[in-house]
Amino acid sequence: MADTATVPAAPRAPLAFRLGASPAQIAALALVALFLIAFLVVPIVRVIQIAFTGVDGRFSLVNFGDFFQTSLSRESFWNSVYVSAMTVVVASIIAVPLATIISRFRFRGAALIHTLGVIPLVMPPFVGAVAMQLIYGRNGSINLLLHEFFGFRIPFMEGLNGVIFVEAVHYFPFILLNLSAALSNIDSAMEESAQNLGASGFSLFRKIVFPLALPGYVAGAALVFVKVFDDLATPLLLSVTNMLAPQAYLRITSVGVSDPQGYVISVIMIVCALTTIGLSQLALRGRDFSTQQRGGGGLARRKLGKGGTWLATAFVILTLLIVLSPHIGILLLSFGTVWSFAVLPDGYTLDHYTTIAREAGPYITNTLLYCGIAGFIDVVLASIIAYVVLRTRLKGRHLVEQMAMAAIAIPGLVLGIGLLRTYYDVHLPTGESLATFWGMLVIAYAVRRLPYALVSAKAALRQLHVHLEEAAESLGAGKFTTLTKIVVPLMTGGLLAGFVTSFATAAVELSATLILVTRPPDAPISYGIYIYMQAAAGRGPGAALGVIAVLVVAVATFLSYRLAERERDLKSREGVF
Amino acid sequence: MRISASLLRLSLIGAFGFFAIAAGAQGLEDKVTIVTSYNKDMTGPFVAAFEKKHPGTKVEVQQRHTAAAVTFIQETKSNPPDIFWASAPDAFEVLKQNTLLQKYKPKAEGIATKAGSYPINDPDNFYTGFAASGYGIEYNTRYLKANDLPVPKEWDDLKKPIYFGHVGISAPSRSGTTHLTVETILQGEGWEKGWATLMEIGGNLTQVSDRSFGVPDAVNSGQYGLGIVIDFFGLSGKASGFPVEFVYPSVTAIVPANIGIIKGAQHQKAAEAFIEFLLSEEGQQILLLPKIQRLPVRLAAYDKAPAGFPNPFKNGKLGAGVHFDVDVSEKRYQLVNSLFDRVITFRLKELNGAWKAIHDSEKKLGAKASPAAKKMLADARKLASAVPISGKEASDPAVMNSFHKLKEGEKAAGRQAEFEEKWDAAALKNYGEAKSLAEKALSAK
Amino acid sequence: MAASVSIENISFGYGGALVLNDVSLAIEPGEYFCFLGPSGSGKTTLLRLVAGFGTPSQGRILIGGKDVTHLPPWERNLGMVFQSYALWPHMTVAKNVAFGLERRKLSRAEINSKVKAALERVGLAHLADRRPAQLSGGQQQRVALARTLVIEPAVLLLDEPLSNLDAKLRTEMRVELKRLQRDLGITTIYVTHDQEEANAAAGRIAVLDGGKIQQIGSPVDMYDHPANRFVAAFLGTANLIEGKIESDRFLADGIVLYAVKAPPGPACVSIRPQHIAVQASGIGLPGVVEEREFLGETTRYRIKAGSHRLIVDEPHRRDIEPREVGALVGLSVDTKQVSILRG
Repeated sequence: MADTATVPAAPRAPLAFRLGASPAQIAALALVALFLIAFLVVPIVRVIQIAFTGVDGRFSLVNFGDFFQTSLSRESFWNSVYVSAMTVVVASIIAVPLATIISRFRFRGAALIHTLGVIPLVMPPFVGAVAMQLIYGRNGSINLLLHEFFGFRIPFMEGLNGVIFVEAVHYFPFILLNLSAALSNIDSAMEESAQNLGASGFSLFRKIVFPLALPGYVAGAALVFVKVFDDLATPLLLSVTNMLAPQAYLRITSVGVSDPQGYVISVIMIVCALTTIGLSQLALRGRDFSTQQRGGGGLARRKLGKGGTWLATAFVILTLLIVLSPHIGILLLSFGTVWSFAVLPDGYTLDHYTTIAREAGPYITNTLLYCGIAGFIDVVLASIIAYVVLRTRLKGRHLVEQMAMAAIAIPGLVLGIGLLRTYYDVHLPTGESLATFWGMLVIAYAVRRLPYALVSAKAALRQLHVHLEEAAESLGAGKFTTLTKIVVPLMTGGLLAGFVTSFATAAVELSATLILVTRPPDAPISYGIYIYMQAAAGRGPGAALGVIAVLVVAVATFLSYRLAERERDLKSREGVF
Repeated sequence: MRISASLLRLSLIGAFGFFAIAAGAQGLEDKVTIVTSYNKDMTGPFVAAFEKKHPGTKVEVQQRHTAAAVTFIQETKSNPPDIFWASAPDAFEVLKQNTLLQKYKPKAEGIATKAGSYPINDPDNFYTGFAASGYGIEYNTRYLKANDLPVPKEWDDLKKPIYFGHVGISAPSRSGTTHLTVETILQGEGWEKGWATLMEIGGNLTQVSDRSFGVPDAVNSGQYGLGIVIDFFGLSGKASGFPVEFVYPSVTAIVPANIGIIKGAQHQKAAEAFIEFLLSEEGQQILLLPKIQRLPVRLAAYDKAPAGFPNPFKNGKLGAGVHFDVDVSEKRYQLVNSLFDRVITFRLKELNGAWKAIHDSEKKLGAKASPAAKKMLADARKLASAVPISGKEASDPAVMNSFHKLKEGEKAAGRQAEFEEKWDAAALKNYGEAKSLAEKALSAK
Repeated sequence: MAASVSIENISFGYGGALVLNDVSLAIEPGEYFCFLGPSGSGKTTLLRLVAGFGTPSQGRILIGGKDVTHLPPWERNLGMVFQSYALWPHMTVAKNVAFGLERRKLSRAEINSKVKAALERVGLAHLADRRPAQLSGGQQQRVALARTLVIEPAVLLLDEPLSNLDAKLRTEMRVELKRLQRDLGITTIYVTHDQEEANAAAGRIAVLDGGKIQQIGSPVDMYDHPANRFVAAFLGTANLIEGKIESDRFLADGIVLYAVKAPPGPACVSIRPQHIAVQASGIGLPGVVEEREFLGETTRYRIKAGSHRLIVDEPHRRDIEPREVGALVGLSVDTKQVSILRG
């Protein structure tokens, strides 16, 4: 051993070593942080600031006072809460039995149920809303038949019911997917040992299955609640205005960008979203069991008795029909001539599609452009954040990550309002306001979709064991080479899936779009659909455009799914974990 | 045969030059931006025809509903659009008062000067009328037939109990055209009586839509049977093939739809050309298209109109009933919007409840009603038609000022939110009492 | 060319707990050296510090005499084989192996020939165009080896290379690794928790526990002369008995050992199970058989002598009658084989 008395002083470690990250990594994260501050933090702070500013320009709670003293505002608030909660309930009624069927029983229609979990997601709720009105409305197809043969009607679409119905049919997959994932993660060994110890049937469910599946359910339910709470487009298209989101929109657009009530509502919406997410996290604290189980292979599947099979089949078919009704409706509307007070359209035509082919080209190219760029921005930003968070010890990296994820709690409407307000007076060299430039729409899409891209990127990076990078480094590859030769290629599948998801969800976004789009030449598909739906003769072409939007999203979703699959197949169990 | 590079270049320059000359010959800019409350069905044919006539000038149309359009123009002062094109004259008044419009006197000839008693153009030439419209009732024939409902003719018909739950209207706060309809009724019948009419019709309403198109849309698709709409919605719905009809009540205002150049417009010449085009023979003919169906202001245009097409300049009955005071309308614009929303739009359920109880009781009791019951029902009616602010108070400038941003030297009597809360509470109370009174009448001796 | 590795006063810790506490050792060029210890002992951390993954809070590391403490991994010219092999799934076997060479700017032809040679050395030339997912565990491990050896590193670092293989493959690869190391003469540091592996292969072993070095020496030396209780118990099985030495005798409750040449005072002795002989009762130390396990090569008894439970191994032969549980026996200890531990 060396003489310990005279250990020479170690040479001073380079700064990068001490900070826990290289200068390049720090710079990259700083850029991301700057982007988020400029286009997320500042606009939202502006919104909050205006909400809390009194007439004299100083801090004041008077606007909030006005809000809570106005019965319409209170009513809108409770309506939003009610609608969101009821949507969770209805969605659960659809999703829970389906999830149970696929995870606990051997059911031949399991693949069908999986498809059910995807179909609703490809059509944004507002596109289907008009069609749902025609099918389930007071004098829609179903009620006309019911009234004629049975003499009664079901108020599917009356008032808030309409919103709940449309939203539930669209959002139940969130609960279905989360819950069935949680159920299939339950190690069959757990169930068996419980049975061994005497638990069976209901008590087995109550003591083992329910608590282990709860996190999955809560995650899905919270997501549904927040998304419905923030949805502007659906209530608007169903002419329901006594909810928070439409109220904010209407006030900002009619009374003006300076009306404080619109901002007050925005703040309330943010607080509610954060509270919901926070509560669900709290409820799940320490209960994320999915990672603790060693790929259990799911609960043992039981055979369904004859009666059970009939029941399950009937339920699945009924659900399928309901879930497909907006799609069928929009198809009928796109091919129908006149559909009025009748079960089906009077006649059929291709005219609407030719109209679209003639007129709607710009909408489609705009969508491809905006969403493509937004998706690309998301992938780059998400990769940077994921890498710095998971691979370095840079101080403050978690803060940037949280900033990015915070976008989930910000409704698209509110972000749009914030961006509009903040950048309205900033002018581009062309003289145009930055807020109304189409680039701002791209940024809004990118900011709002970043959380999902980040989750994808982190998942992709986590699957990439750090040894793979270290092996490269020990063989002589510096950080940059390792990134380009090892990390990026191996993350590609996950990143591509993230890109496609970003793209697909941005393509049918309408909340921020309604606020930020000023010129039809700049409009994407979603706005185009909205415009078409404003004219009597426009419902047909609007529906046709909606069908095209759905196809675009469906293709994109399918691609994303295949890419993620290919990625999984590429990696083996051994050598990469 | 290969085109040589130089020939290609030459022809490109030539083409470019041609367009430059074509545009320059007229001196028109290469584009003109229009903010409008009209939808594609309306603007499309005009834009197409104008661009055909003036190649080299592109027309960019931004559709916003009236209130949002006004706000937008107010907020884009530094880089405004060129033209504002909408139905509601009051919106133009608002812009004119805020000095956001430019004076322009069109050169077109043969244009009517009045529609009924309403001037077509702004006397100060800040905005120009290009078409006229009336208000009326659109109804779905299939729906009426299926529900055994009679065809309506007058506004008062809509008060009939038989129409309970079958009528729709859009909120005046969301629809400039509906606002004018409401103003027409208020100016025609007086403040208190006008509101009573509105609230009694309100009892039959099943929906107060937040956009003007919401009502004709619903009637077109048969969601409900009758809607209070502007004529072109009804007529164009019919022309689009929907099973609907439209009728003008005898008391209706014929009001011009307007177009005006915005102050600070970047494409002045093109904007003026567009207005001239609208007023030209060719432009006015476009108004007769099935999907548009508006009343031209060029007198000669009616010669080419199809048989039965209403002509307000020949038919004295149309539009004569009401003298519309634009000034009054503009001053109390926001107040009326707010009031309607509080007592009708957002208390529709309670209003419906009160009137249903009244109708049911009246039907059940019929002529056999005892004097006590009759009084109860009369009181119930009064309560369900009581507007919570008197005509006098509503015309107090300080009160009207509470509903918009104050200008120099203006005083407000209170905050908008305070008034709204008061009215809401009053409406709730009144409707509740009316309902219970009506129900009590059933057992009154 | 093989290099020496010198670890001087290395400390490393996260937060309050030190994972490595003032560790020093010197490895000769060409040595096959082993870091041995239970999980959490710090052996992998030490290996990773040598590789350049992590910075020690104190001390320095020299490779071939050069201070590399603050050099990043890619500048140290070492080769590390990870426990998980870390083969890149998106590259073929050949590309995996070529990776390090490509960093060193050789011509394509040179790279190809070196890759070929490396794969042949590990017997996998025929799998050059496969992907890692298509290989077995043993094959993957050999590719990982080839990948590191092909760059001719100054030091080869192996992190538990055999732990993911099944028992039979493990013993085969153990021998294979030793042969490779000898043929190439490359300084190799091998981390394991399995003392059988360490014993079989290494030239010298450093035993670590709790972040400190317990003893450094050849396997045989450490087995026969453990420096402390931990080493004695960790390398093989040992009976550790506390007692005292006086007048050349070791005394513990119920146990007396004679001819113990050591200074008097409190002491602990370590006796290997195979150095205690079992005889018929009456001869030697009295004991009672408490347990009996048949282990194939030996029969292992747990025998109570005095207040001590001793583990005694007897080689199994057909003609030896196994003792019954509860039988009284006599034990005799080969005191020449006994180690005396102080402190």
